[in-house]
Amino acid sequence: MIQLQDVSKIYQMGQVTVEALKGVSVTVEKGDFVAIMGPSGSGKSTMMNIIGCLDRPSKGMYKINGTNVEKLSDNQLAELRNKEIGFVFQQFHLLPRISLAQNVELPLIYAGVSSKERHHRAQEALELVGLSDRAHHKSNEISGGQRQRAAIARALINKPSIILADEPTGNLDTKTGEMIMSLLIDLNNLGNTIVLVTHDPEIAAYAKRVVRLRDGLINSDEVNPVPRVVGGGE
Amino acid sequence: MLIIDIIRVALKSLAGNRLRSFLSMLGIIIGVAAVIAVVAISSGAEQQILDSLNNLGTNMITISHGMTRGTGGRISQSTTDLFTYEMADQIKALCPDLNNIAPYVDGSGLLVYNDTNVQGRVRATTPEFFEMVDLDLAQGRMFSEADLEESRLVVILGSEVATDLFGETNPIGQEIKITRGNYKFSLNVIGVFESKGQVMFTNYDSQVFLPVTTWMNRLQSIKYVNGFSAQARSNEVAEIAVAQVEYFFYQRYKDLDKVNVTSQTEMLSMASDFANTFKILLGGIASIALLVGGIGIMNITLVSVTERTREIGIRKALGAKRRVILFQFLIESCTVSLFGGLLGLGFGTVVAMLVSHLGGWPFQVTAFSVAIAMGFSMMIGLFFGIYPASRAARLDPVDALSYE
Repeated sequence: MIQLQDVSKIYQMGQVTVEALKGVSVTVEKGDFVAIMGPSGSGKSTMMNIIGCLDRPSKGMYKINGTNVEKLSDNQLAELRNKEIGFVFQQFHLLPRISLAQNVELPLIYAGVSSKERHHRAQEALELVGLSDRAHHKSNEISGGQRQRAAIARALINKPSIILADEPTGNLDTKTGEMIMSLLIDLNNLGNTIVLVTHDPEIAAYAKRVVRLRDGLINSDEVNPVPRVVGGGE
Repeated sequence: MLIIDIIRVALKSLAGNRLRSFLSMLGIIIGVAAVIAVVAISSGAEQQILDSLNNLGTNMITISHGMTRGTGGRISQSTTDLFTYEMADQIKALCPDLNNIAPYVDGSGLLVYNDTNVQGRVRATTPEFFEMVDLDLAQGRMFSEADLEESRLVVILGSEVATDLFGETNPIGQEIKITRGNYKFSLNVIGVFESKGQVMFTNYDSQVFLPVTTWMNRLQSIKYVNGFSAQARSNEVAEIAVAQVEYFFYQRYKDLDKVNVTSQTEMLSMASDFANTFKILLGGIASIALLVGGIGIMNITLVSVTERTREIGIRKALGAKRRVILFQFLIESCTVSLFGGLLGLGFGTVVAMLVSHLGGWPFQVTAFSVAIAMGFSMMIGLFFGIYPASRAARLDPVDALSYE
């Protein structure tokens, strides 16, 4: 479960102070599938960074599974990211020089898991996203959709509390995007909590709940009565 | 995260950039090769010098005139008339740490056999001298007691002189003439020495040897000898023996400046000092090459950090702590420099082997110089890796992830 209470983020850019978030409160329960929506400049990237423990709020409180992020050191934040958060990025962010299996293993390496168990779990995760036959390819040898699936496998591998997906379909064509969304829905159905950051209403429509941001404030926070089903959109 | 995993990650990224890794190694390779080669070559040369000094006889002590100061057009007698033939026995009796002593006079003369002549350098001395410097007879006999007592006109030839004068003819028993100024003396050849070759600045092969008394009483008519060659009982007591000899002459002349007593040990240590100075100088130059190599590594690591900003961001997002990133880059820079060190070691050894081979001296790569070079290159990797690595470790994950 994650809790944001009156979270603000203020950036000092030279002489100008920019308030990217102006007191935002959101709670995401375990097993939920939330889309955070908003146009560019609405503060959704900032919010994503805070939820992902890549950044700390300037004001307000952020708790992840009961741990208050405010008091943590950089190293403790790194540990928290490693354990609690699985990132899926728009640019995939796979390391180009190592194989997919090695990419997927990375969070386990930083968690100190033995190499035997790492191999085993990486293989499992790749199987789950349907890439077990590509385990030893490098990221530049496979398609964008496959890359994103590998990234999802990496996000899953350390059994995080939430999967944080930042525009996961942004670099993919519609059809491949749908496949990725379908994978995320499957993962949600398996009990994974998913927070999806997007500007695209069509993508947000897959979520169970939609939070809309505008100018650093929450504009609306609604349950999506009928989440979109892959292939049933048109 | 296990250190072995960090090492694996570091090696992988180096292997992915082979050309660059090699180029950044180049400075270290050259530096280490230079250190290894310089130390090996100068140690070899030093060894050769020491060997040849020992070839002049071991634990030798030379007793000669100190200052040669005179008035008018001639050297003062007080500085040349110091050593007598008889003194040899007295010195030996009073200096218990001397093993042996021989008086000598050096001179020269034109040597003639039939119509062949050679300008010869002459050393007049006693049989003890040849024992001390390990000069053995190839044929004939040594000076006898009677030769010395009666100042007989006999001569032993160095091997070159024998060949020059006699060619294939057996020189033993032949008469040669030696011309000194207006006088000619006839000398009976009683022996020929084995060839010993050029040793430092001395070549016994091109000299001829007379009994010291023959020279003093017949050829030159002098009462004094030029000096003494002596031998200490062992290397350990060489300095004591020198002091004993100095004491002997101090009692006699009350002035130590008149006599110059030098032990071979001193000469050996002078040679070593010289070689060491040389080593330090060249080693210093080689160290500069290592330093430049280190800066090269820092440069490349900085470029690599900048280039891989996004990778660092990804690793941090996935839970890599600062320490892990720091280690990753440190291990990369250390691996580059250690690897460079190893290659340099190989390269330097080959160069040292070649040069030693050409110079004809013993080949020496000591464990010490290997340890120094490897330790040094490791240190350089650490030292010049720390700044780039800590820059990488301090990167903010948000900034690093959005770096283009």
